[in-house]
Amino acid sequence: MAENEKKILLEVDHLTKYFTTPKGQLHAVDGVSFQLEEGKTLGIVGESGCGKSTTGRSVLKLIEPTAGKLIFDGEDITKYSKSKMRKLRTEMTMIFQDPFSSLDPRQSVMQLISEPIREHKLLRGNDAIEQRTLELMDTVGLARRFVNAYPHELDGGRRQRIGIARALAVNPKLVVCDEPVSALDVSIQAQILNLLKQLQKDIGLTYIFITHDLSVVKYFSDDIAVMYLGQMVEKASADELFANPMHPYTQALLSAIPIPVVGKDKPQRRLIRGEITSPVNLPDQCRFMKRCDACQECCKEGKNPELREVAPGHFVACHCVK
Amino acid sequence: MSDNILEIKDLVVHFETDDGIVKAINGLNFNIRREKTLGLVGETGAGKTTTALSVLNLVPDPPGKIKSGTIMLDGKDVLHMTDKELEEMRGNDVAMIFQDPMTALNPVMTVGDQIAESIELHQHVSGKEAFEKAKEMLKMVGISESRAYDYPHQFSGGMRQRVVIAIALACEPKLLLADEPTTALDVTIQAQVLDMMKDLIVRRQMSMLLITHDLGVVADVCDDVAVMYAGRIVEIGTADEVFNATRHPYTEGLFDSLPNLKARGEELVPIKGLMPDPMNLPEGCTFYPRCPYATDACKAKEPQLYHMGGTHYVACTAYQDPNFRLRRNSNG
Repeated sequence: MAENEKKILLEVDHLTKYFTTPKGQLHAVDGVSFQLEEGKTLGIVGESGCGKSTTGRSVLKLIEPTAGKLIFDGEDITKYSKSKMRKLRTEMTMIFQDPFSSLDPRQSVMQLISEPIREHKLLRGNDAIEQRTLELMDTVGLARRFVNAYPHELDGGRRQRIGIARALAVNPKLVVCDEPVSALDVSIQAQILNLLKQLQKDIGLTYIFITHDLSVVKYFSDDIAVMYLGQMVEKASADELFANPMHPYTQALLSAIPIPVVGKDKPQRRLIRGEITSPVNLPDQCRFMKRCDACQECCKEGKNPELREVAPGHFVACHCVK
Repeated sequence: MSDNILEIKDLVVHFETDDGIVKAINGLNFNIRREKTLGLVGETGAGKTTTALSVLNLVPDPPGKIKSGTIMLDGKDVLHMTDKELEEMRGNDVAMIFQDPMTALNPVMTVGDQIAESIELHQHVSGKEAFEKAKEMLKMVGISESRAYDYPHQFSGGMRQRVVIAIALACEPKLLLADEPTTALDVTIQAQVLDMMKDLIVRRQMSMLLITHDLGVVADVCDDVAVMYAGRIVEIGTADEVFNATRHPYTEGLFDSLPNLKARGEELVPIKGLMPDPMNLPEGCTFYPRCPYATDACKAKEPQLYHMGGTHYVACTAYQDPNFRLRRNSNG
């Protein structure tokens, strides 16, 4: 393969996940499509309930998608059975939000980090496994003296490092990070973000980075997708999206970030009215309409807008963007 | 009448546990000006919530002990009040809102009844009158009156926090203690709630202590800022002074860890190490083991408070040298 040729590691085509509830169909993820290049990061942002976590989990088939197509490393994994997926679990893995509840409190650091190695039989013999565990601890910056500690003895930042070490233990290609720093203090958050970035540089990891924090995602991602009620409403490179947001929802979301600036440089706030509507039994029209300031006649009559390419690499789903 | 609604002086609060003494607050000093909002910033374990609980004299005892210091609320000494006086003060003079609106509300009581309950209790009016007032409060926080008969689970997170705010403001307190009031909310909802709180504070001529870890929220809402580290204030001043003329290395570290002001790809500069164990605080300046500017002088003695002009104070020994500048300030 030539140097400059891009390798697509993951292709997601009209991924859909509906949940059946007593009130009707809950549209958690509704026709999400994207491509992810090897060694790059796609950030998925949105508010609670927009379907970003369900997207992340469906991509790994931790949740069985209702419809759509998943192509991982050139292979269509949509119809893969559980046992076939099991082999793939060493190539795609996940880092969870809460380092307090995602670790077994009765396992020591050694047991926690070596568990995936033993589970997938990646190495034989206790010595080799222990050696690899210690190496992983070095990689994620966890001092070796904690090897026999239990999670409750460690602070949030160190616990999240265990979570990262567990994810790395299987030598994955794709890592889905679901709000990996949301539970941490800012100074610790910066340490973990730097670590994830360094790992990407060193071992060429590909990330899907799910977060509600737009400033984190800007710093971290190559491409950003904004989700609203199960759909992607805008997708562009990180710089383009922040410099030139087109969808009214993206604009409102960006304007809502509290900026730590005081004085004349402080940007004006634009408030967005109302709250996210229920994702159950959605009609075929623009889902942001009720909260949108730019809403026009065409929006009320039109169908649910499709994601269109309005500038090279910049996709928007809005009737009002020409 | 003093210019300050709240004056905290040399406050020391320890938690005496079986494993040792947790030094949560170690000589805390700050004031809140009348009709102003002070932002109290710091990381987990800095002692922010303990500060708020001390103002209400609600530090859980045991194991918590307010060892020394004074807290003057509108000229009255909170730490020497009788139980009856405390009961009068809580709710009437000072109200508190907590981070998580779900656990702060009673799930088996309608929100109207919950707001009315505190009005009835503190203002000695009839149940019917209180409920009418409760409906008014709901309207004030932007919820339609007809929802007074609904239960908390029927509201979204942002709406619940509005209900909690309505309860807190129902008795027209002079001081509102808000402990991370918007941390559990989405950004767009956070913006709505903060906007409303700002407006209410001005309209009702209240003062507020806003506890948060988010410097962006502070910049939006606060007049004054106090940065807290290991149970002490390390820097205090107006928002303009603290944000635009930062003096303390820890405050600088907090700004450098934030991703929002950075260009993409630039490495974040985290503060090295971790918050010290409050059972085992370092000698001298408690920030010294993590401080990039630390010298031997920092280890030797506790830093005194240096006046930086205006209302700006910083507790950092480096300012013994009048030419000392943080990196943030040296290049323009």
